[in-house]
Amino acid sequence: MAAISVHQFAQCITCHAWSPDHSMVAFCPNSNEVHIYRLSQDKWEKVHVLQKHDQIVSGIDWSARSNRIVTASHDRNSYVWNLEGSEWVPTLVILRLNRAALCVQWSPKENKFAVGSGAKTVCICYYEQENNWWVSKLIRKRHDSSVTGVAWHPNNILLATTSTDGKCRVFSTFIKGVDTKDSRTGTSSDSKFGEQILQLDLSFSWAFGVKWSPSGNTLAYVGHNSMIYFVDDVGPSPLAQNVAFRDLPLRDVLFVSERMVVGVGFDCSPMVFAADERGIWSFVRFLGERKMASSGSKYGSQFSEAFGKLYGQSKHGVSNDAVEPSRSRGGVHENCINCIVPLRQPGISTVMRFSTSGLDGKVVVWDLENQADLSDYL
Amino acid sequence: MAATEAFVEADNAEAIITRIEHKSRTIDSLLKHSKPVESLQVRIPFLCHIFSTIKRVLIVIVVHIALMAIKDVGGLLSSLDPEYYDILMKYLYRGLSTGDRLTCDQCLHIHEKLTERAGLGCILRSLADTVNTV
Repeated sequence: MAAISVHQFAQCITCHAWSPDHSMVAFCPNSNEVHIYRLSQDKWEKVHVLQKHDQIVSGIDWSARSNRIVTASHDRNSYVWNLEGSEWVPTLVILRLNRAALCVQWSPKENKFAVGSGAKTVCICYYEQENNWWVSKLIRKRHDSSVTGVAWHPNNILLATTSTDGKCRVFSTFIKGVDTKDSRTGTSSDSKFGEQILQLDLSFSWAFGVKWSPSGNTLAYVGHNSMIYFVDDVGPSPLAQNVAFRDLPLRDVLFVSERMVVGVGFDCSPMVFAADERGIWSFVRFLGERKMASSGSKYGSQFSEAFGKLYGQSKHGVSNDAVEPSRSRGGVHENCINCIVPLRQPGISTVMRFSTSGLDGKVVVWDLENQADLSDYL
Repeated sequence: MAATEAFVEADNAEAIITRIEHKSRTIDSLLKHSKPVESLQVRIPFLCHIFSTIKRVLIVIVVHIALMAIKDVGGLLSSLDPEYYDILMKYLYRGLSTGDRLTCDQCLHIHEKLTERAGLGCILRSLADTVNTV
């Protein structure tokens, strides 16, 4: 079984993040608060409640080295939380947004963070030592709709974004005085702040959940049309692959290795995608169930009644597990999964464990160690 | 043919006819004032648009006739290349939008089998693609 632990923390969870040592988890229970729970003697206890935002907290990220939490909210603000003693002390970051902040992520070096917003804007925030505050620089142009996802390239300069205009874009976020020019980064350090490196127009519908592979060579993002897009050689001549799958759309993705991606979304179970030796990506299977031999399997029984009415049949595909619709695939989550977070071991680029949270209020930890059929891709 | 006629939305057909009449008057006016080049500049893109619209309507009609003639849905889907599933789903929804009883019955029957085969993702893709419509 890939799911090694399941925790019901709330009725609904918007987003979550783990502490550097994975002993604590911070999440938003679909409110304006952030709850931090610590695992103590096999029991989870609430140790902190971060109360500063006025509206739903839409994004949380916990930096691994500097142990800071950044939160972004629909109230158009972002806070950086520092642990001083036993208290988390917030620092307001003025984003200068006139719409909700939707997502946030620390950069790999943790000296910047990016916030995507409903204002068709991406905010790149960095700390100014002289003034002792966080400064926000805006990437205003290019996006035609809300920015739903942000992802940092390992070089700490390139940033990929996805938007509800269906496009995925890559920008340079080079900031003089914050970033250093490095010959290994190539042209990315020559680009000025906010310059668009690439625009990918692969999806006809909203795009979500963008991530870079560990090396930064491949980009993956999902569309609301039940497709996932993989882009190699991100640059002037990118190589794109569009992978259509038969199930409900995804909301977020995670590269567990260079050749394996886990996607999560409306189907309540993580989906595994992998690249073969030629670099061709395809759907492998759901996590938590064995690979299905036939592709003619029925859709989940949660839809059986609805389809029965549509097709005018009184009983359609009713099965014994109709009472618990999510169990049709042996699923752990009972509602849409909207967030997937890696649980990395220091110094190891491959992700063997990750966690998911969703609208059912659960945080589930998954382990790929005992998934023998996936070991070739790790 | 009544069902096939119903397939072409009445409002769309009237709008097309109105545009044809309007454009024809524009072209006639340019020709009367001895402006053959200008009339050509109006006529050519107009003709292209008309041809593409007629082509679209003809394809819809042909597909509809083909769909109504299907008896063995399972056999059809077994032999159909999976890359055409999304396109077929779009035409099924086009057929369902007519409201014609016979057409809807057939389209619903094929929809059920196609959804079993191609999954809910096929429905999502056909609905989400507002660019390549049928």
